[in-house]
Amino acid sequence: MISFFLKRLLLLIPVFLAVSVVIFMIVHLVPGDPIDNLVQINSSPEQKAALAARYGLDKPLYQQYAIWLGKALTGDLGDAIILRRPVSDLIAQNLPHSLSLGALALLFSTVVGIAAGVLAAIYKDSWIDRVTMTLILLGSTVPSFWLGLLLIMLFAVQLGWFPVSGARSWDALILPVLTIGLGGVALVARVTRVAMMETARKDFVMMLHAKGVPPWQIELRHVLRHALLPVVTILSLRIGWILGGAVTVEFVFARPGLGSLLITSLNQRDYPVVQGALLMLAIAVMLGTLLGDIVQAAMDPRVRERIK
Amino acid sequence: MRFTSKTRLLASSMLVSTSMLGLAVAASAQEATFVVSAQNVGTPSYNPINGTQLNDAITLIFDRMVIQDADQTFHGQLATEWESTADGMSWTFKLRPGVTFHDGEPFNAETIVWWIPQFADTENAFMTAAIESVEVIDDLTVRFVMKNPDPNLLSNMSSGFMSIPSPKAFDALGDDFGVTDAVGSGPFRLESFTVGQETVLSANEDYAWASDLSENQGAPHIKTLTFREISEDSTAFLELSTGGVDLLYSVPTDFLPRLEAAATVQVGTMPGTGLFYIPINTTVEPFTDIKVREAAAFAINQKEILDNLYGGVGSVANTFLIDSLLAANVDPALRISYDPDRSNAVLDDAGWVMGSDGVREKDGTRLQVALWTQNGTEFKRVTEVVQAQLKAVGIGADITVFDSATINDQYRKGTDHQLAVRSYSWANADIIDWFFSGQRLGYPNVSMWNDAKAEEMNLAAMSGSRTWEERVANFTAYHEYVLSQFVFAPIYQPVQIYAYDKEAISVPETIRGTRLQSQTVVDITVN
Repeated sequence: MISFFLKRLLLLIPVFLAVSVVIFMIVHLVPGDPIDNLVQINSSPEQKAALAARYGLDKPLYQQYAIWLGKALTGDLGDAIILRRPVSDLIAQNLPHSLSLGALALLFSTVVGIAAGVLAAIYKDSWIDRVTMTLILLGSTVPSFWLGLLLIMLFAVQLGWFPVSGARSWDALILPVLTIGLGGVALVARVTRVAMMETARKDFVMMLHAKGVPPWQIELRHVLRHALLPVVTILSLRIGWILGGAVTVEFVFARPGLGSLLITSLNQRDYPVVQGALLMLAIAVMLGTLLGDIVQAAMDPRVRERIK
Repeated sequence: MRFTSKTRLLASSMLVSTSMLGLAVAASAQEATFVVSAQNVGTPSYNPINGTQLNDAITLIFDRMVIQDADQTFHGQLATEWESTADGMSWTFKLRPGVTFHDGEPFNAETIVWWIPQFADTENAFMTAAIESVEVIDDLTVRFVMKNPDPNLLSNMSSGFMSIPSPKAFDALGDDFGVTDAVGSGPFRLESFTVGQETVLSANEDYAWASDLSENQGAPHIKTLTFREISEDSTAFLELSTGGVDLLYSVPTDFLPRLEAAATVQVGTMPGTGLFYIPINTTVEPFTDIKVREAAAFAINQKEILDNLYGGVGSVANTFLIDSLLAANVDPALRISYDPDRSNAVLDDAGWVMGSDGVREKDGTRLQVALWTQNGTEFKRVTEVVQAQLKAVGIGADITVFDSATINDQYRKGTDHQLAVRSYSWANADIIDWFFSGQRLGYPNVSMWNDAKAEEMNLAAMSGSRTWEERVANFTAYHEYVLSQFVFAPIYQPVQIYAYDKEAISVPETIRGTRLQSQTVVDITVN
């Protein structure tokens, strides 16, 4: 198990390097320039050139990349050009908000998604299955931007239960969590339902029925346990997605977080911040995948066997 | 039984007392929450000296030497009197006595001696570039010795970028000034600042030096003021309509019907500082021909755009400058306002013949041009109407939409664009220099206009004027020449629209100054 973990961890190094190149190139090759956002009306071309030199933007791209990567490997993500703070400070200030939103949304989509999937699988082809799957279809197709505004209209404006936006109180988290979580519920429920139905057809399940084990015990204790394997994979992949996918939700709900930071910095072409935030999201995806692999190995003896 | 009655009485009394206390606390909690304009979301710091983006809270933390009113007149804030010599080579300012910064440091002539050199080598150096040195006449009088005359000096000094920080705090905090703390002499102190989220201010109870634009000459009525940053206009609107915030600094025109329908919301407008226009690339066919430029300029029906897209809110633009600027008073014959007959006549004269599909042709070439715009509903809608208006005189236009952060790079290529829909926000005639100087071809001179006579007039306007009157005359002449060459087509002048919860706060009916700034905020009361 430890060698499996180390092997997977080593594999992340080339992936990290490749991702860092892609992030750097995307950020720099997109037209636009942070200096445009720094200069004042009446500034001269010489002043612009001096500013570019001050931030090292006059160097060849490969040199800029080498400097950035070298510093990033030591934990220094540089200073924001526009926001004028260390990038690591900005990330440290915003990451907790993204993590709490992401973790709660993941928890919500896991619990509700698995419950909905189990219900739909147990009552396959009944009205419960059809209603659940219709709601799931709606949940997976409604854009989060629009869903967020709908939830605000209903729960904040009409009913007055929650604040419209911000992050000043705990209840300000509920609508954003629902907005992000509902998309995840749809995905988890679909995967759970299919996996439950596939597992239910396996020989060992028939054996359990033949032995007279109560159906609820078979579904929840045996079938669900086997069906959870693909669900864990999906959930681990969603860790990174939830952090990055919160971009529009943070925007609609005017919440702090990596998403808001990314949008603000992207609009201003604040290269170091965009690079730093994207790198964090990429690391979250990589670690999420690693975590998924480990959990899968821990849950499934066959995976452990394959490693040996 | 007796005991029970007493206990009940005591409990009731405590309840009433607690409620009364609660009410008293609520009444004294003079708190308000304002939302900054969406375009100011992400303002990085409150450092006026090296900041290039500042939001409206800057004028609450800091004071300026002078404030400009909506009628362009200047009113003293930290300066009480000023005068310049006839040759413009010297300015003398009398300073307001009794002013202290939030850290207790005094404001006096020594502050100004320290302040002006701070601008050297910053992005805002141009603000003080004409000042050679500052001399102390007495503790409350300074003289600026000029390198060259700068009649725009007062305008610069009324800008938020020339807000005056506490020298002691500025030197002590270094690069952190405006980021971790900001110390000025304004009506509010900075309590906390989270970039992209909110700024919390508390009233400066010592404040007693408001300008004559404010009714309230003492400390602000609002004791705790929070500035929230909300990017999405719909969210800001919903916050206002549910009482989550008390005032929106900026409201898009298309929200007006909904806001006006809300029982608790009061909407106000004040003169704008922005203008929509169409730069015409003078270096690319067919716009190398002034007649085609003239035809395109007179094809734009400004009134139709004002009425149909903006519901009549704002005003048409017929020159390159906002109406409140003196240099906007040009020869009426040079104003560009919708005249399709003139467009058709000049195109006929230039040999462009109307084709069967409604697009003109000349020597086998169709009058089909590229019309660029940036993303955003407002830009797209204006551009689509412009496309239809051009088509009405036989000019076909293909719209391309660019990301707002990308489009300036595209302009710099110089030859790919022909027409574009753009806007600016700036309340000074020197915006003509920024967008039409031959030194800045591509961007910001999207018209790619490089004309010897214009450059001469630019020089006279920018650095050849000794007095304000001379500057106005030089800029008016430069402006008239720009208009005569049809290097752009004016479209629309938006107004500044603000909205507030009239049950929560009371805002003066007339907003003094060019924006909703400290001079008005000190007069706002919490109901």
